[in-house]
Amino acid sequence: MPAVSVRGLAKSYGSLRAVAGVSFEVQPGEVFALLGPNGAGKTTTLEILEGFRNRDAGEVRVLGIDPGDRRSGPQLRSQLGVVLQELAVEPFLTVRQVLERNAGYYPAPRPVGEVIELVGLAEQADRKVKTLSGGQQRRLDVGLGIVGNPALLFLDEPTTGLDPAGRRTSWELVRRLAGEGTTVILTTHYMEEAEVLADEVAIIAGGRIVAHGPPSSLGGRDRGAATIRFQLPTGITRADLPIRVGGEGQAGELRTDRELEALYELTKWALEHQVQLAGLTVTRHSLEDVYLELTGGEAERFGSDSGQSEALPR
Amino acid sequence: MSTQARAKPRALRLLSELRLVARQVRYEQLSFWLNPIGAIFTVGFSLLFLVMLGASAGSSRISYLNNIKLVQYYVPGFIAYGVMSASFNSLAISLVIRRETGLLKRLRLSPLPTWTLLTSILLSTLLIAFAQVVLMLVVGRWAFGVHPPSGASALLALVVVLVLGGLSFAALGIAMSTLIPNQQAAGPLTSTVFFVLLFLSGLWFPLKSGSALAKVSTYFPIRHFITAVFKTFSHPGASPWALNDMAVLVIWGAVAAVIALRRFRWAPRQT
Repeated sequence: MPAVSVRGLAKSYGSLRAVAGVSFEVQPGEVFALLGPNGAGKTTTLEILEGFRNRDAGEVRVLGIDPGDRRSGPQLRSQLGVVLQELAVEPFLTVRQVLERNAGYYPAPRPVGEVIELVGLAEQADRKVKTLSGGQQRRLDVGLGIVGNPALLFLDEPTTGLDPAGRRTSWELVRRLAGEGTTVILTTHYMEEAEVLADEVAIIAGGRIVAHGPPSSLGGRDRGAATIRFQLPTGITRADLPIRVGGEGQAGELRTDRELEALYELTKWALEHQVQLAGLTVTRHSLEDVYLELTGGEAERFGSDSGQSEALPR
Repeated sequence: MSTQARAKPRALRLLSELRLVARQVRYEQLSFWLNPIGAIFTVGFSLLFLVMLGASAGSSRISYLNNIKLVQYYVPGFIAYGVMSASFNSLAISLVIRRETGLLKRLRLSPLPTWTLLTSILLSTLLIAFAQVVLMLVVGRWAFGVHPPSGASALLALVVVLVLGGLSFAALGIAMSTLIPNQQAAGPLTSTVFFVLLFLSGLWFPLKSGSALAKVSTYFPIRHFITAVFKTFSHPGASPWALNDMAVLVIWGAVAAVIALRRFRWAPRQT
């Protein structure tokens, strides 16, 4: 049984179709990333899965439970961990007090000391939350998300506002949780984050999923997308080369889905003829290229109006 | 696990949920008292008012109110004020802040049942209000010689009035919080409404019955609350039970509760 299955999910706010027919599945233990511009429908989708918002249409099962069913709400929520975009922690309690309070909400919580270690707040454990730096508060927020020992963890832009070191720490934590069998669904703006963490990525734009798959093959970027470039050695024409190469003047360019063979042929030939292939590069469609290609129009359409409010969490 | 949870006898589940309430009240209190400025401001303000006004009143008497000493009016008046400031003013402001910073949403997404959370917030509010009542009774007695209600009937009346008033004004506070769009507006908006109504209701100076202000203030709950608390203090030959005033409080509280339940939002308004 998948940890999450969504079929034909739809939600409108007035005349705005925030989510317009989204379908996907997340397997247990998988890290699933929802990528998309502001206002694409990521947070709405998450809120429906969390049981926080009602859907207009579609079939949704989260850990086998329909999150729209109020009666099973507490039972579902006892198995979920949620980290919101907003930093939401009581300012006047200490780190330990907040974690102890929330641990008490769950039937089988993780030991508070262990959570403090996991999010790297051992030195700040007895300090009031309001004295923590933004990054430390963010880590406490993540700690609150995992203190209930959830089977499924939702992370809504978990590393926004973190410095590079903080981001690495969070990534390690997510990997570790996934390694322990926790299913993770995260939203992010950072391609790198999706690429590093996710087993599966869905790109969402204008309320629809426009691409879906493992990050390495998303949008066909693992197929036919490599480009080899080099400078033709002086005195050598394209006809002398062992394979067919395009480009203009001395700039040789070759697009291929079999870059390994092409490179082998080229470099073997160059070594045999004792010539250099100056400026030799192999480039591949980056996830960011795919993302921008797929969401370009949407990013412009939605980015300006709804992006404003999301940029101001407080 | 689902079948286990369902099979759990209802009484047992209620018991464990009541334990959750007790626990949550403890953390609500901790959160309140660990913010010394907020706590002093809420609790100390009513005391400061009583001491200042009580001292400046000296031995003046109110000719149009059975010629009682002014301070005999101020002690019950500021007991009512203390309850209202905790359950209306502070509750409304803190709910807006908790909503807009995502704290309410986060609690909503935890397995803590909604009713236990709301009950804990109400109980915690009443506790803070009653701490002020006790403080004011003590200061009233020892600093100004105003005797607290005595006799079983008067004491019972006081407790009933305070609980009724506390709950009604808490409902008004929650309703108020649903009308406030953001954190920045919470303090100014709530306090303006509160202090204008307090002035209209004669907290600083008792209103002459029949005056224009007295007529206006009968439509609002504050004057009725002050009157109901006032009547529980010993007045020879008069009943400590101000039933009409209590009825008005209940009506206001019920209307506010309906608004609060219909308009209550867990998520920030701003995003």
